Amino acid sequence: MTLAIETEGLTRLFDGRAAVEGLALSVPEGAFYGFLGPNGAGKSTTIKMLTGLLAPTSGRAQVLGTDLAHDPLSVKRRVGVVPDGLALFERLSGAEQLRIHGQLYGLERREAGRRADELLGALELADDAGKLVSEYSHGMRKKLALGCALIHGPRLLFLDEPFEGIDAVAVSGIRRLLQDLVARGALTIFLTSHVLEVVERIVTHVGIIREGRLAAQGTLAEVRGELTLEEVFIRTVGDERGEVPGLSWLGEGT
Amino acid sequence: MSAAGEGGGALAPPGGLATLRALAELRWLLLLRRLRRPGGVPEVVARVALYVIAIPAGLAFAALAGVGSFQAVRIGRGLQATVPVAALFFGVWQTWTVVSLSISERDALDLRRFLVYPIPPAQVFGHGLAASLAGDPFAAFWCLLLAGAFGGAAVARPGAWLLLFALVLVAFVATTVALVALLQELLARLLRGRRARELLVAAVYVGVAGILAWTAGHPGALLRLLRGARALRWLAYPAALAEGAAVELYASRALAALPWIAALVLAGVATVWVAYRLALASAREGGGGAPRAAATGGGGWPLPGRLGALFEKEAKYVLRHPVATLLLLILPPFAALVAWKVLPRLPPGTGEIVHALPVLGFALYAHMAAQIFWLNAFGWERGGGRVWFLVPVAPAEVLLAKNLAAYALSAALFAAAATAAIAVGGPLPSWALLAAVALHAGIAPWLLAAGNFVSVLNPRAAASTVQRGGSLSPLSSLAGMVIVSGAAGAFAIPVVFAVRRDAPWLLVLGWAALGLAGAIVYRLALPFAARLLARRREPLLDAIAGDDD
Repeated sequence: MTLAIETEGLTRLFDGRAAVEGLALSVPEGAFYGFLGPNGAGKSTTIKMLTGLLAPTSGRAQVLGTDLAHDPLSVKRRVGVVPDGLALFERLSGAEQLRIHGQLYGLERREAGRRADELLGALELADDAGKLVSEYSHGMRKKLALGCALIHGPRLLFLDEPFEGIDAVAVSGIRRLLQDLVARGALTIFLTSHVLEVVERIVTHVGIIREGRLAAQGTLAEVRGELTLEEVFIRTVGDERGEVPGLSWLGEGT
Repeated sequence: MSAAGEGGGALAPPGGLATLRALAELRWLLLLRRLRRPGGVPEVVARVALYVIAIPAGLAFAALAGVGSFQAVRIGRGLQATVPVAALFFGVWQTWTVVSLSISERDALDLRRFLVYPIPPAQVFGHGLAASLAGDPFAAFWCLLLAGAFGGAAVARPGAWLLLFALVLVAFVATTVALVALLQELLARLLRGRRARELLVAAVYVGVAGILAWTAGHPGALLRLLRGARALRWLAYPAALAEGAAVELYASRALAALPWIAALVLAGVATVWVAYRLALASAREGGGGAPRAAATGGGGWPLPGRLGALFEKEAKYVLRHPVATLLLLILPPFAALVAWKVLPRLPPGTGEIVHALPVLGFALYAHMAAQIFWLNAFGWERGGGRVWFLVPVAPAEVLLAKNLAAYALSAALFAAAATAAIAVGGPLPSWALLAAVALHAGIAPWLLAAGNFVSVLNPRAAASTVQRGGSLSPLSSLAGMVIVSGAAGAFAIPVVFAVRRDAPWLLVLGWAALGLAGAIVYRLALPFAARLLARRREPLLDAIAGDDD
């Protein structure tokens, strides 16, 4: 089995505290990998390390067969990223954004333009292609960011919370597009999300991180067993909250 | 929880004093948080330094205004009394308006962001106006100046009339602040539509060219035009009305001053109301105007490679910024005005170098005017800044593209200003043209090399507005002053030699040599700035892509 991502003892400390510790990920090529964990578990830190944005304190990461520490640019050329906070230029139109993004990855202007038009159509943004991104809704921005991550034809796609803050119709559209791409064997997807129902429907592999350490990893069937993904997730990360204290004044009107 | 059932009692009435206090506290906390970030201490120092300069300078000018006011009140009537009054009000109004629209730190309060709260928007707007007055060192300077005029008048003739004079001064300040807010709203609306901006630029050029063509060969025509333009003083109605009231009060005609004072107060109220309605309409439109740009992936600028794409993005960012449009609007007519009014007044016998000074000055000023783009090069990226660390481009290429775009704007400004000055003032000797080009191109690498470090070390999320305060932090402004002063000082050395020896060609040689040295320095400094950019990824993204400002 060829691995798209393989890490060994990947660790990142911030002020002496481990955000990620001894991470050993194995993401097979062609997998739709859901990387789950509660807030602050280290998901975004992991993505930053795997995309060359953050140097690990120790450990090793191979992405698409290349050691990240040795050749981060080669990795960047072959991966696409939709970061948590998105990475869009607000004063460019959607069409300009996609084309220039493609050119920054080394595409010829004409080819980048052609792909941009196709992506605008596929992402149902063609009618708003001439608007500046500052005028886009959150869902449109997410779609555009996905287009930017796809325009250079990456072999591996990192998506940090792609379904956060968008409506069910947009979620469905993005989900179908991603599933289609994986089904065609076109790419591997590494995704973080809190929307477990959606994740359960689309991923083939799962990894669960808790307090910076990998708590579970494998195919969806292996990790889930007889339970739902949400049940497994809650058991793995622990649900230690008791009754909600106080707030008795809520509902008594103002 | 002890608050059970207290919900209603705990809520302050909407827009009450408590809500306004909360609003003030929120803005204060945001400011504090900004100042506590890395780089905050120098920013505090820069702010304090501005006050340290503004207050003693204000006191010195207040003493002068006091003396002028004292004499005018003693004289009472006639030109000797009215000229200082006109100079005071029109001078303060003009500088206040110009500085507020271009330099001042007036932190435009985003009404849209506060519409969600149960605070009457009018109070939020009023709070913004008051904060713009209280937090601005320049406003402190002008208020001190007006207080000096009041003090002079009080010493000259104590009495109850001073209450009316104080009312005039307060109403003048309030109306001026309101008019600045109104102009900002109007400019923001005007500059939002790309087509409107282009039409406006074209109209100004056509207008200036038309006036010049009409007055050419008719010596009296321009004079007649200027006499007619006296009516334009009413555009500065806060100053015109305050002047009318003060002239009457100085002449001990309190009753005659009352209509002026009433008109001033009414004008102030009307100005605030219109500015507020415009701001509220903009806020409720949700930005409105939806500017449009290229709607297909085809087209774009035929520039090769990644650097071409980087430059296209940067140039489009610069061109879509209202400051670029405003500069292209203002600078050429200003250059024409200087050539028209200043050059003929130079004493006969002054050398060629002195005659060429306005064009040489514009070569330097074009860089200063474009400085927001080379001192805060990442300020308008927002989330887009993340792209520089995700895509396979070298940080040095990113900085180079930004520098090229800023230089292109500066070169366009210089070319437009020089063309206008030459068209009005007559042709320059070829050495002067060469020298101006050498100065503009030669000083650029020095400024851009230093500016890159400022951009990386002290980035600030900037708004696409015409206010410089929204684009540069006080610390970066201060750094800009130091960089420009240092570079201008170095480039002044050849001027000394050229003037002493009356050898203008020394300017061309000297500036070309300094430019060559600058290019070498730029080439050496770029990798350092690029490494710094890579190292400071997190603080830079925190500053430009964060949402807490």
